[in-house]
Formats: sequence, C-alpha cells, structure tokens
Amino acid sequence: MPALELVLRHVANGIVYSSIIVLGSIGLSLIYSIAGFANFAHGDTMTVGAYATLIASGAFGGLGVTVLGLPLGFLPALLIGGLVAAGVAVLTDRFVYEPLDVGSLGLLITSIGVAYVYRGVIQARFGSDPRQYAVPAQQPIDTLAAIGLQITPQDVAIVLSAVILVTGLHVLLQYTDFGRKMRATADNPELARASGIRTKAIRRRTWVIGAGLAGVGGAFLGLFNQLGPRMGFSLLLIVFAAVIFGGIGSIYGALLGSAVIGLVVQLVPLLSIYGLPIGIEYAEAVAFLIMVAVLLVRPQGIAGEVIEEGEI
Amino acid sequence: MGVADTLQAYWNELTEAERTLSTAVGVTVLGLLVLMLTGVLDPTYFLFLFGLGGMYALLSMGLNVQWGYAGLINFSVAAFFGLGAYGTALLTAQSSPIAGGLPPLIGLLAGLGLAGVVAVLIGVPTLRLRADYLAIASLGLAEVVRMIVLNESQWTAGSQGLYGIPLFYDGWPIVGGLPGALPTIQFVGPGGPVTFGTPFWQELLNVLLLLGFLGASIFVLRRAHRSPWGRVLRTIRADEHLAEALGKHTYRFKMQAFVLGSLIMALGGVYFAHLQLFVSPGNLDPVTTFYVWVAVILGGSGSNRGALFGGFVIVAIREGSRFLGDASVVPIDAAPLRLIIIGLLIILLMRFRPQGLLPPQRELIWPSVIDNRGDRDG
Repeated sequence: MPALELVLRHVANGIVYSSIIVLGSIGLSLIYSIAGFANFAHGDTMTVGAYATLIASGAFGGLGVTVLGLPLGFLPALLIGGLVAAGVAVLTDRFVYEPLDVGSLGLLITSIGVAYVYRGVIQARFGSDPRQYAVPAQQPIDTLAAIGLQITPQDVAIVLSAVILVTGLHVLLQYTDFGRKMRATADNPELARASGIRTKAIRRRTWVIGAGLAGVGGAFLGLFNQLGPRMGFSLLLIVFAAVIFGGIGSIYGALLGSAVIGLVVQLVPLLSIYGLPIGIEYAEAVAFLIMVAVLLVRPQGIAGEVIEEGEI
Repeated sequence: MGVADTLQAYWNELTEAERTLSTAVGVTVLGLLVLMLTGVLDPTYFLFLFGLGGMYALLSMGLNVQWGYAGLINFSVAAFFGLGAYGTALLTAQSSPIAGGLPPLIGLLAGLGLAGVVAVLIGVPTLRLRADYLAIASLGLAEVVRMIVLNESQWTAGSQGLYGIPLFYDGWPIVGGLPGALPTIQFVGPGGPVTFGTPFWQELLNVLLLLGFLGASIFVLRRAHRSPWGRVLRTIRADEHLAEALGKHTYRFKMQAFVLGSLIMALGGVYFAHLQLFVSPGNLDPVTTFYVWVAVILGGSGSNRGALFGGFVIVAIREGSRFLGDASVVPIDAAPLRLIIIGLLIILLMRFRPQGLLPPQRELIWPSVIDNRGDRDG
C-alpha cells in the first residue's frame, strides 16, 4: 500500500477519535475552571452516557429511516445519554462535592470515589462483558474507499455531531449573556459574585454542559469501539492529556489539544514505517509522555494563561 | 508499677477514637481466633489473608511517606508495587524469561533497586509539578509501566504472568526445611476439622517474615518522621513557599520522600510475590493504587498506625465483598460491589472524617518529651 494512502487512513481515524476526545476534554476543562478541581470521574461520566444511550437506543430501536448509518431513533437515544450523564453529574455535585470542605486536592480524591461508584453501579447492572449498540454494521463509504479511505457513515456522523456541538458551545460562550457570566465566573468567582452573577446557578449549568457533552462523547466512543464499564476510565488519561496540552481551563486549548492528542494516538502505528519501533500498544503511552513533556516545558499549556500556584 | 498499671496508663493516654478502635480491633482479632480454633475458618487461608493485609499496610506506609508526610499526590502506587513484585519474580521464578532460580534475597535487592531507579526517573519530571498535575502525570506514568509489563512479553511473560516463584525463605538453612519438618496437628472443632499442617507452618513463617518487614519499615519511618528531615517534609506539606523561604531545597526533600516511599511500596511488592507465588500485569491495575489511598485516608494521613490499620481493612473489604457477592447476600457480583464500597468509602470519609480514623497524635513528638511533661487530664 502506498505510504500516502496509509497516512491518510490513519489521519481520518485520528479525526474521528479527536472528535470523541474533544467532547470529553471541553467538559473536563469547563468543570476545572468553574468547580476548581481535576475531575477524575469525568471519564466514568462518559461511560454513564454511553450506557444510558444503550438503554435508550434499545427502547427506540430501529425507529425511522437510516441517516448516516444510524437509525433515526439513535438521535433521541444520544440526547437521552447526554441528559442522563448531565443529571447524574448535577446530582453528584449537589450531594457529594458541594457539601465538602476539603480544598481542591480533597475534591480531586473524592472524584475518584465518585468514579468507582459510577463504574461499580454500571458493572453491577450490565456486567463487564463488552456490548454494542443495535445499529447495523457499516461498510466504508464507496466513493471514499476508492481513494483508500475507510470511513464509515457513522464516522462522519460522529465528526459532524462534534462540530455542531462545539460550534454551539462557542456561540453560547461568546455571544450569550450566560456565556459571559460563565467566563466571568471562571476568571474570578469572587468578583463575579460581587457583580451580581449567581455563581451557584452558573456552576450547575457548567456541570450540565460539561457532563452532557461527556455523555454524548461516551456514546460515540461506544459506537467507535464498543461499550465496557472501564471504557471511560481508560479514556480519561487521554482526555487529561488533551486538556493539559491545550492548557487546563481553556476551551479552545482543549479543542486544539484534542486534535493533536487524537491524531498522535492514531498515527503512532505509522512510526514503525519510519524506523521507530513503537507498536500500536504504546500509542497511549506516547500521548502520556507528550503530556508530561508539555507539563515540564509549558505547564500552562499551549493556549492557557499562567496560573499562579496559590490560585487553585 | 505492674503490667496492669502500665496498660492502664497507656489506655488513659488514648483519645476517644483510639479507644473505640482498639476495642473493635481487639474484639475482631479475638473473634477470628475463636473461629479459627473451632474450625469455622481455615487457619492457613486466614494467615494468607493476614499476610495480604500486612502487604497493603506496607504499601500504605509507603504512600504515607509521600502523601502523609510530604503532601505528594502519588497515583502510581500500583507501579512501584508491581516493580517490586516483578523485580523479584523475574529473578526467582521458574517461568521467568530472563533469569529465574536465583535466591529470593537477590530478588529483594533487585525489586528495591528497580523501584528506586524508576522512582528517580518518574520523580525528576513530575515532582516539580503542581499537586493536581502530579496526580495526573503519575497515574499516566504508572499506566506506561503497566503497558510495558503487559506488552514486553519477551522479558516479562506478558499477560501470562510469572509463576513458580519460590517462598522467600526457600533454601535457607534450617528455616527453609522447617514447615515440612514440623508435625501436623489435627483435631475436630465444633465447626469442622482443624488442621495445622505444612501449608500452615509455611504461612506462619510468611507472617513472621511480614512482621520483620513491617517492623523494619516502621522503625525507619518513625526515626525519619521525628528527625529534622521529617520536620522539613511536614513544613513542605503545610506551606511549600515557607519551606523555601527558610532556605530548604524542597525539590530534593520531595525526591527523597518519593524514593523512600516507593522503596517501601516495592518491599510490599516483593513480599506479595513470595506470598502469592504468582504475579501478573493485572496486579498493576490502577485500582490497587486507590485501595492503598483508601487505606491511608481511612487510617489518617500521616499516621503509621493508621496505615497499618487501613491495610488490614482493605483485605476485610476485599474478602467481605467476595463473601457478600458470592453468597448472594446482596444481588451484586463481588467485583462491582468492591468498586462501589471503595468509592463510597472515599466519598464518605472525605465528607465526614477527612482526617481519618487514627490521625497522628503523639507520633510527631519524642517519647521523652511526653514523659517529662506534667500530668494532664485524661
């Protein structure tokens, strides 16, 4: 196979994978800015979304015609997946994180407990065997296969949905009253509160948006690979790598970081062509090492602002 | 002053929480002994579990040096545990792809050496980072270690794991042959037959070995914690800028604490390899790390007694969830039940008792200082 074709194929995979990561990383970054801690339960929030979508798509089944390789019934299922993830996250914030008085490191440790509860409940209900959505298996799109690209209509659906969601969030943050309040709260909570912004309500909505996006991302992850109780936790470090690469707290940084980390993970198999014997099994390891390198050289990330140590 | 008076004085010194907990531990130990002697509980398996508890206690004490003393959020406990276990297993196991058959004492040195080197390698880039970045980076690097163990099967036997690991004291003069030479004692208790045979004596020697490892670690840690070095670490945990302003090279102190803690974790790993006689990449799963975190938070960050206590509680949770799940007392499988219990325990502790059950009380004070001070009310 010509090298260019191979590269194109991996790049295409990387774009799909990046689209999934970005849905996780934006939420992680938002929650970090507003709630003030690195949420280790974010990966498992994605798992929650994936399994909620699984139940919902079972209910709506093959409803309606097929669009982009997915039955129309999958769309409401996806929506439900996002909503369930958002609901679970808001309840968790209300009853677990909010009453705590343990500082950002204590919240971080607590979020690990939350992650294990999510995963345990899912594993208790669905077992640990991998599952798949009841959607028809897809063949690569013929016209693209002709030039060597193996992209299924579902891949296109994932990328399109991610683009729509990210664009929507961009509009929300930049052009609405809520967006301005949210950015103000992220920047300086005390000042925002003093200016009459209801920071508590902002915090709730941040969880809704962040966890909702994560839930949809988790559903897509289940479509891209398959579902398992550990799927979200396994992706968590990749999502962290993306967030840190772009600069923690920066949405646009998270976008950039997801693109880079997603591509890197999918392009690692190509390295062996160019003489670097790093197998696909180390793809994630390469992403982690990039993350550590970024932390060393530019701890604020590519797009992030300098955060003084005392601020967290 | 008689023994009773000394005990009475000791009891009076304890805080309310310590008294409650001491009573609970005493009752539990007594209950287990009765169950063992009446044949309800298999004594050999009981000693094995005791060994496992001590292993978790070692890991917890290692993490305690890092988190409890110096405030380092290390999420790579499983990696150092695994390096200790694999370090000794690769040299001593029959199925080892690289060496095998070497005496376990060499394995012990190899396990500790390996962990020490990797601790420096991981510490150099990560210990300068902010606390939450350290958490993320150390979890990532621990995953890299796990991937290497899993995938480089020409060195580590990959997912098959290493079996045929000898007992730690195999081949030692006298001690090595002791379990086989000791008589088998059998009697029938109310709950079933009780047997103290060769496997029991083997496990008993394992427990003695464990007590040796624990004793040595506790001795070193007590000395270190009360020394000027320990005081600097506590200052770093409370306020790193203050420590720097006092002219302390905080990075160097953090590195020393990180390496010391990792060595103790590796010691736990070495003990585990010679207890279980089998190691596999599954032992390096991040969940091991978070078991140990639960033990440290439960016991009380900074407290070695707490770490000791927490280690045994972890085994109680593991076995309890297995019992509840398998016996269908609750309609949940053992594995997810364990995850839920661990998760809930973290959440509830952080909510209601973030200082843990046995927070450090007098551990930071030289005993002579306590003896010389005036009497104090209960």
